[in-house]
Amino acid sequence: MTRQRLLTALLAVITLAAVSPFVLMLVIALSPSDEPTLPHGLPGSLTLRNLTEVFTTSGLPRWLVNTSVYAAVSVVVVLLSASMAAYVFARKRFPGRDALLWSLVATLMVPVHTVVMPSLLLIALMGWVDTYWGLIVPTLANAQAVLLLRQFIRALPDEVFDAVRIDGAGDWRTYWHVVLPMCRPVLATLAVFVFLWHWNDFLWPLVAARSGSMYTLTVGLSAVSAEHLGLPEVMSVAAVTALPCLLVFALLRRHLFSDLAR
Amino acid sequence: MRRAFTTLVFLLPVLVLFGVFRFVPMAGMLGLSLTDYRLGGDWRFTGTANYADLFQDAVFLNSLATTLGYVALCVPLTVAVALGTALLLNAARWGRRLFRAALLAPYVTSLVLAGVVWRWIFGPLLDSPAFVLPALAVVGVWKGFGYATVILLAGVQTVPADCVDAARVDGASAWQRLRHIRLPLLRPALLFVVAVETIGAFQVFDTVYVMTNGGPMRASYTLAYAIYDYGFTHLTYGRAAAAGVVLWAVILLVSLVQHRALERKP
Repeated sequence: MTRQRLLTALLAVITLAAVSPFVLMLVIALSPSDEPTLPHGLPGSLTLRNLTEVFTTSGLPRWLVNTSVYAAVSVVVVLLSASMAAYVFARKRFPGRDALLWSLVATLMVPVHTVVMPSLLLIALMGWVDTYWGLIVPTLANAQAVLLLRQFIRALPDEVFDAVRIDGAGDWRTYWHVVLPMCRPVLATLAVFVFLWHWNDFLWPLVAARSGSMYTLTVGLSAVSAEHLGLPEVMSVAAVTALPCLLVFALLRRHLFSDLAR
Repeated sequence: MRRAFTTLVFLLPVLVLFGVFRFVPMAGMLGLSLTDYRLGGDWRFTGTANYADLFQDAVFLNSLATTLGYVALCVPLTVAVALGTALLLNAARWGRRLFRAALLAPYVTSLVLAGVVWRWIFGPLLDSPAFVLPALAVVGVWKGFGYATVILLAGVQTVPADCVDAARVDGASAWQRLRHIRLPLLRPALLFVVAVETIGAFQVFDTVYVMTNGGPMRASYTLAYAIYDYGFTHLTYGRAAAAGVVLWAVILLVSLVQHRALERKP
């Protein structure tokens, strides 16, 4: 019994270490400007003034819209394009199929950071710098998504595909009415990961955006934290950046690591 | 013929996305690294001059060493903390789900946010060249250990309980049970976690950008930050591309060595 208590106490300490930076962030973000805040003491009351302030005086609303567009469009396009390719990789025979698949997977070995500069020169050639096109399109090639969906579709029972073929369904109908519905659990997992990845992405939006009106939340946050804004305002922007991720995670936790969540 | 056409149409979006935005930049990076291309467009082919320059440049060599130092701090710490947490979670009778969910909060939020909050927590400590790298490693551990814990916990749970119980009955100590039963069975999960954490740590950028800008006195001037600095501050694209190829090669080499070392049977 004492052993269980010790275990729980240790886990509580570790958990506290994991979440306390978020608590500090929130306390500072909600501190009234005329009261002492951390590290000099705790404020006597909390206020939403800083939050409303950054919403009206900084580029925050625009950054929130940009980040939402970036994440939402990416989720839809990555899921659709990757599942289409995964379907033919898993269920069709054509010359060069395996070589093609593994050449896509091999791109995973190249760190994203190293190709940022040539990618930027490329979108400069296309005239896409500082546009949604330039921000979004170069980030949509997702080999993990293709690979994961291909494994999943390959493991689906052959009988299903035989049956729809006998019923005379073509590839499009098979894809739309059979493959996509059956892939729903793995698509949900992927959607969460792709959303988080794009929401939190930093280096690419940092270089693809020039003007403040094209910033994403992460770029905006790094900009205000390097500028003149006060600490409570910076922490307010940080809180706005974090909340959607924590919310998505809390609501869709089942779909993350779904095979691990017991 | 029509079926072949349909197959092509299904592949087309992915082919275009990968062709234009993965393979062209990769080829471009290799090509640029052999030129002295800068902003302004005038360039000539310089062969391996960029690489030769880099390996004679004290700043670049220092950034290699700094990156290795960061990886050597961050990866073992992350794996050790994650393994300990996973074993604790596995033995805990209640609260497992709650703890596990809370541990993942740093993992699902942005590194920029981590940098902003931790810069405030560390304060003047980040002005010390001796402490800046350990401080960045702490942020790396904080950010990454939740994910590693979840993977390792799944691994720990696949170890049959009877195996561990049988060893306990035979008089094996807790350490012996960990060393000789749990760890060997955890090998695949450990290999995966070490590989993922290492590849991530070699590319550390966001926290460096937000917390230190590579300073003080280049004590946190990592490779990924150097690439950014060459490419986007100094606009020396050829040099940035060459540094990128070096980072790519280093990660590939370390991954191979790790794979060999951890795959070897005990």
